[in-house]
Amino acid sequence: MTIELDAEQRAFRDGAGQLAADVAGNWRLGRGPADVSSPEPSAADWSRMAEAGWFGLRLREENGGMGADAVYAGLLVEQVARHALAAPVAGTLIAAEQLQAHGADPDVLSAVAAGELRIAPLLRPDLTEFAAGGEALAWDSAGADFAVSVDDGATHLLAEPDGGIDLTRSVRVPLAEPPASPPGVSCRPLSQADRARVGAFALAMLTADLLGTMEAAHAAAVDYAKTRRQFGAPIGSFQAIGDIAAEQLVLVEATRSAMWYATWSVDALAPADALRAARMAKAFAARAAVEVCESAVQVFGGIGFTWEFPAHVWLRRAHASRRVFGDEHHQEAILAARIFEVA
Amino acid sequence: MDFTEPADVARFRAELRDWLAAEAAAYSGRVGYESDQSLARTLEWYQDLARAGYVGVSLPIEYGGGGLPDAYEAVINEELAAAQAPPPPPIGHIAHAISDFASHDLKRRVLPGLLDCTAPWCQGFSEPGAGSDLASLTTSARLDGDSFVVNGQKIWTSGALWAHWCLLLVRTEPDAPKHRGLSMLVVEMASPGIDRRPITLANGSREFAEVFFDDVRVPRGNLVGERGQGWRIAMHMLTYERGPADMGFVGRLGQVLGAALDAVRAGHSAADEQLRRRLISSMIDLQVLQWQVSRSLASRDTAVSASGSVDKLLTTRVEQRLHHVLVDLAGASFVLADQPFADYVWSRAQSVYGGTQQIQRRIVAERLLGLPRG
Repeated sequence: MTIELDAEQRAFRDGAGQLAADVAGNWRLGRGPADVSSPEPSAADWSRMAEAGWFGLRLREENGGMGADAVYAGLLVEQVARHALAAPVAGTLIAAEQLQAHGADPDVLSAVAAGELRIAPLLRPDLTEFAAGGEALAWDSAGADFAVSVDDGATHLLAEPDGGIDLTRSVRVPLAEPPASPPGVSCRPLSQADRARVGAFALAMLTADLLGTMEAAHAAAVDYAKTRRQFGAPIGSFQAIGDIAAEQLVLVEATRSAMWYATWSVDALAPADALRAARMAKAFAARAAVEVCESAVQVFGGIGFTWEFPAHVWLRRAHASRRVFGDEHHQEAILAARIFEVA
Repeated sequence: MDFTEPADVARFRAELRDWLAAEAAAYSGRVGYESDQSLARTLEWYQDLARAGYVGVSLPIEYGGGGLPDAYEAVINEELAAAQAPPPPPIGHIAHAISDFASHDLKRRVLPGLLDCTAPWCQGFSEPGAGSDLASLTTSARLDGDSFVVNGQKIWTSGALWAHWCLLLVRTEPDAPKHRGLSMLVVEMASPGIDRRPITLANGSREFAEVFFDDVRVPRGNLVGERGQGWRIAMHMLTYERGPADMGFVGRLGQVLGAALDAVRAGHSAADEQLRRRLISSMIDLQVLQWQVSRSLASRDTAVSASGSVDKLLTTRVEQRLHHVLVDLAGASFVLADQPFADYVWSRAQSVYGGTQQIQRRIVAERLLGLPRG
């Protein structure tokens, strides 16, 4: 039992963090809503991420990927969120996972891995689960070429992004008309086990995403508390601020444990067990992330609710990711149904 | 990253489970500190456990320990909780302090009785004027010939009434800075000049006592480590006070939650939709706490001691939230019966004993986050 990152995992995490920080440096929050950069990364930046192997991380070798286990995907998504990187990395990883489980053509998956074909997952309009026919929204789809409705294999072009609180990611509506030349996505239906495994993966990725966002907000708040002076002393020396910072670190570390377990279990446990673990991890992270980001806003004081300071970027991401694939109430309702309605 | 249990630990767990299936039922619900009878049963339980080889498994073999990693202590704590058996004797931190710091001679004299549980121990740290500010304690030990002469008072001393030995934190260097003036002594509780008075807790438990020292002579050879090293040893002990025992604690909270879920499912407890959701929320909290504690345990070698404070704070949050749910689940019986309140009020102690919530936050803020001292 070794519940820590090994040298290879740490090296991967650090490398991903460096690239994420680097690319995130090209994005501008600007001075107001009209001024903010697009959530779609430049073609050059997208290529760098593809070359780093990010998009094919989970794809098997025959599909042009690296076949890494889900712990690596979690570390990647955490780092992307840690730098509030405006690029649909989590969405691509989830959609690729989904397509691979459906047995999509290796050519299509290889193109995804290479960054040549950009895909996004389709969720129900309430964002709680993968779409199952009917109305849908493509989440984390900035720059995506299309979204696949995996239940019928239909591919959808996507409308232009239409707002939303998350400045670093897009939600787009699928268009009714099919693409002129639909990519060759032959989909077989998912077994119940595959469905659970893909669901567990998606929830684990959102847990990782929330973790990264919490870390970013918390670390910035702690740094600020060390330098911001009031009453002749750094505010971090006041117990009222130290207590907030300490309690929020507890939530960050607990979420890290949950993220590690959830990502590990995707490949190590039976699908139903992995899904159950991921639901619990996501529920905890959803509640914790909002609390940590709200606390950070409090520590920052007035600057925390100005546009130019990124506290609201983290709070926006936390709220968005909390809802995507279901917030804590959604997960708790499902778990409650399992426990109380069996008899 | 691997949360799977290694085969040898799993084998140890299976053997322990078999042993518990045969032995534990006799003790279930009959131990405690409320009466002489239940106390006698508690001490018997400790000795049974020791004879079967389940006490001090992480201590060196030459002093009667098992020479195994901490993970095995965690398994014992977990399995005892799962079997609803009484907890193991809370002596790991004392045993490690003696094993890691005491002279060979002192170890030979006291460790066997500690580990076979024939000689109960207590830990004399807190004083009326030194709770959270432990390092300001004033119980003094003055060297006089071949003995230290101890004067002062300890309080909240768990198990002091029946202990044979006490690991006592005293001030030996009154002129040194407060953290450097402390030393650790092993004191025989039958020594002349020791007076013990019980403290009954709000839930009725009689586990605690205050202890008075009036010119108590302690042989010089009972000094643990060096003079002035007391604070360092005390801090070393705190890292052992948690860890493996946390797994048992989480397991016991899991039993409490499981019983509540069963009662609702069987229709014995009425729970509306909101209360059911709160139970599930507590179930999630407990699961995350278990992941967190497992992680701390599995990376103990590299962990700084302040990370124990993170676990303590999380445990406090989870336990107290769970008990708020249980208070509501108990309905009117929370007001009309005694037991639900007794269970609940003990959950309030979690944020006080072993370092208060405020002290733990201070440790995290200063040592883990590097925030400036106030």
